[in-house]
Amino acid sequence: MSSIRVNPYPMPDLLAALEQLQRQQTNATLELATGSSINKPSDDPAGAAQIIKINDLSSQVDSFQRSINSISSQFSTADSTLNSVVTVLQRAISLGVEGANGTLSDADRAAAAAEVTGIQSQLLSLANTSYQGQYIFAGTATTQPFIVDPTQPSGVRYVGNTGTNDVTIGTGYQLQVNVPGSQIFTGTGSDMFLAINDLITSLNSNAGIGAAVTELGTAYSYVTGQRVFYGNALNQTQSQQTYLNTETLSLSQQLNAVGGANIADVASQLVNDQTAQTATLEAIGKASQSSLFDYLK
Amino acid sequence: MSSLFGALSIATGALGAEQGAMDATTNNVANANTPGYSRLRPVLIESNPVVENSVTYGEGVTLQKLESVRDPILQLRIQDETQQQGQLNAFVSAMQQAQVQFTSSSSDIGSQISNFFSSLSQLSTDPTNLSLRQGVLTAAGNLATVFNNTSDSLTQQQTNTDLSVSQDVQQVNTLTGQIATLNTQISQLQGVGQDASAFVDQRDVLIGQLSGLIDVSTIQSDNGLTLTTSNGSPLVVGGQSFALSTQTNASGLQDVYSQGVDITAKLTSGQLGGSIEVRDQKIPALVSSLDTLAAGLANALNTANKTGFDLNGNPGGNLFVPPPVSGKGAAANLAVQITDPALIAASSDGSAGSNGNVAVLSAVQNQAVAGGQTPTDYYSSIVFSVGNDVSNGSAELTSSQLVLNQLQDQRGSISGVNLNEEAANMVQYQRAYDAAANVVTTINDMLFTVINMSTLTT
Repeated sequence: MSSIRVNPYPMPDLLAALEQLQRQQTNATLELATGSSINKPSDDPAGAAQIIKINDLSSQVDSFQRSINSISSQFSTADSTLNSVVTVLQRAISLGVEGANGTLSDADRAAAAAEVTGIQSQLLSLANTSYQGQYIFAGTATTQPFIVDPTQPSGVRYVGNTGTNDVTIGTGYQLQVNVPGSQIFTGTGSDMFLAINDLITSLNSNAGIGAAVTELGTAYSYVTGQRVFYGNALNQTQSQQTYLNTETLSLSQQLNAVGGANIADVASQLVNDQTAQTATLEAIGKASQSSLFDYLK
Repeated sequence: MSSLFGALSIATGALGAEQGAMDATTNNVANANTPGYSRLRPVLIESNPVVENSVTYGEGVTLQKLESVRDPILQLRIQDETQQQGQLNAFVSAMQQAQVQFTSSSSDIGSQISNFFSSLSQLSTDPTNLSLRQGVLTAAGNLATVFNNTSDSLTQQQTNTDLSVSQDVQQVNTLTGQIATLNTQISQLQGVGQDASAFVDQRDVLIGQLSGLIDVSTIQSDNGLTLTTSNGSPLVVGGQSFALSTQTNASGLQDVYSQGVDITAKLTSGQLGGSIEVRDQKIPALVSSLDTLAAGLANALNTANKTGFDLNGNPGGNLFVPPPVSGKGAAANLAVQITDPALIAASSDGSAGSNGNVAVLSAVQNQAVAGGQTPTDYYSSIVFSVGNDVSNGSAELTSSQLVLNQLQDQRGSISGVNLNEEAANMVQYQRAYDAAANVVTTINDMLFTVINMSTLTT
C-alpha cells in the first residue's frame, strides 16, 4: 500500500484537546472570579515572588500610616497642652505686671498672688498631662513627671527622665515623638515653675515683682519656642501621610500590573474556549460513526 | 501436462487462502477497539510453479501466514515517552500539592512575617501599652504556627509520596511477573514456528504500563526479551521476573532494592522516579529552606530582644525558643518562649517608656537573616522555586503528552484497525472466494463432461 494510513483512533487526541480546553476554561473562570492572574505560584513564579514583596511593602506602608495616626494624636494632645500652658502663663504675666504697678493695695496683691498660686497648680497639672495612660512630658519614664517638693526653690521636682523616643514613619525615616518635660518646662534660666514661685513670693512680699515678671517672660518665650517642635512634627507627619498615600496607590498599581487579570482578554479567551469546546464535542459526537460496512448491501 | 484435478486443487487452495485472509479481517474487526492490538495482514504468495517441457504451470496461491503489522522501534519510543510522562505526572501532581502551602493568602508565611513586624511598628508608638505588647506576642505565635503547619504539611506529603512509592513497587512486581509468563508463552510458540502476535500485543501493553511506573530498558535477544531498569538492574529475563523490594531507611522512608542493592537514587523515570525525586529531594529541600528561614528569623529576633530591656527594666531574653544549632526542624518546632507581654524588650535604656529597642527588633525585617536575604526576600525565593518547579514540570508534561499522542497516532496509523479498509478487504476476499468457488463448479462440470465421454462414445 503506497498511501500513508491515517490513525483510525481519533478519540485520544480529541479527548486530550477537550481536556486542555476545559483546563483553560477553569483557569479563566478562576481569574475572572479572583481578578488575579496569579492564583498559585506556578501561574507565574516570578510574579508570585514579586507579589509577596509588594504585599510586604504594602503592609509596611500600612504600619507607617497607623503609626502616624497614633503619634499624631499624641502630638495634638501635647500641642494643645502647651497652648494651654502658654495661655495661663500670659495670664500670670499680666497679673505680675498689674502687681508691679505701685497703686495696687496689699489686698489686691494678695488676691493676685492667690490667683497665680492657682495658676501654679494648673501648670503642674498641665505638665503632668497623660495620653492613653502615658505621661507625655515624662521623657521615657512612666511615672508622673512633676511632683510637689517644697525643698526645691521652684516647689516642684522633675522625676521623669531625659529620654526621647523615635517612631519610624517611612523606610529609614524616624521621627522624634517627644520632648522631655525637664527640657520644656524647667530649662536652666527658663524654669517656668521657678518663675511662677518667684512671682508668688514677690507679690506677697511686694518686692522684686518686676524682676519676677521678667523671669516669667523668659520662661514664657522658652515654652513657646518648645511648642514649635510639636507643630513641626505635626506638619512632618501630614506631609509623610500624603507621601504614603501615593505610595499605597503606586504599590496597588504595581500589584495589578504583576498579578491583575486582564478581564477583557480573559473573558474573550473564555468565549473562544467555549466555542472550541462545543466544536470539539460535535466532532467527537460525529467521529467515525459510519464506515464502509454501513454501505455493503 | 496439466490436469483437471490439478486445476481443482489450485481452486480449492484459493478457497482456503481467501478464507484465511477473511479470518484476518474478522479478527481485525473483532479487535478494532482492543488496546494494543496490532492488525493482522494475510501474506499471500504464489505457489511454486510446475515446469513441463516448455510450459510453466502456475500452482495457485498459498497463504503463507497472517502477520501482525507493528513497528518495534516505534514501540520503544512510546515506552521511553511513557516513562518520561509517568515521571512528570507523579512529579507535577506531588509538587502541585506542595505548592498549596505557598499559595498567597492572608495567613501564609509571608503575610505572618509582615504582620509580626507590623505589630512591632504599632508597639513603637506606645511601648508601655500592654495590649500592643500582647499584639506582638500574638503575631509571634501566629508566625510560629504557620511555620509549624507548613513544615508539617510538607512532611505529611512526603509520607504520602512514600506510600505511593511502595504501591508502585508492588505494581511493578505484578507487571514483571505477568510479562515473564507471556515471555515463556511467546518463546514456546515461536520455538515451534508459530505466530505469537496476540501475546506480543499483550506484552507490549504490559510493558507500556510498566514504563509508566519505572525506567525500563528493553533488550531483545535470541532467548527472548530482557527488561532492566536503566541502571541495569534486572526486571524480567526471559521467563523469569525479578521482584523489587522496599526497606525502611533511617528517615523512615522506603528505599527500593533490587537483588539486595539499593537502587532508589538511580530510578529517574516513570512514576517511581517522579515520586522519589519529590520525596527525597524537593520536599526535603523545601523543609530545609523553611528551617533556615525560621532559625534565621528566630535567632535574629532573639539577639535583638536581648539588646534591650523589658517593661520591668530587666535585660531582655529570648523571644522565641532558641532553634537547634543545626537548624534542622527549626520550622516544625518554632515556638514563642515568653508568655508575659511585659517581657518584650522594647526599651533601650531600661526606662519603661522607651521604645528604642523596638527599632532594633524591627530592623530584623531588613536584615540578611537567611541565605544572605531578608526574611521576606528569602520566603519569596522559596515560593519562586516551588512555583517554578510546578510550572516547568507542567510545561514538560504537556509537551510530553503531545509527543506521546503523536507517537500513538503513528502507532495507530501503522497497527490500528481501519474499518473501511477491513470492509474493502472483506469485499475483495469474498469476491475472490466466490470466483474460486465458481472455478471449482466449472472444473466439476468439466470433470462431469470427461467422465461421461465414454457413454457418449459407446
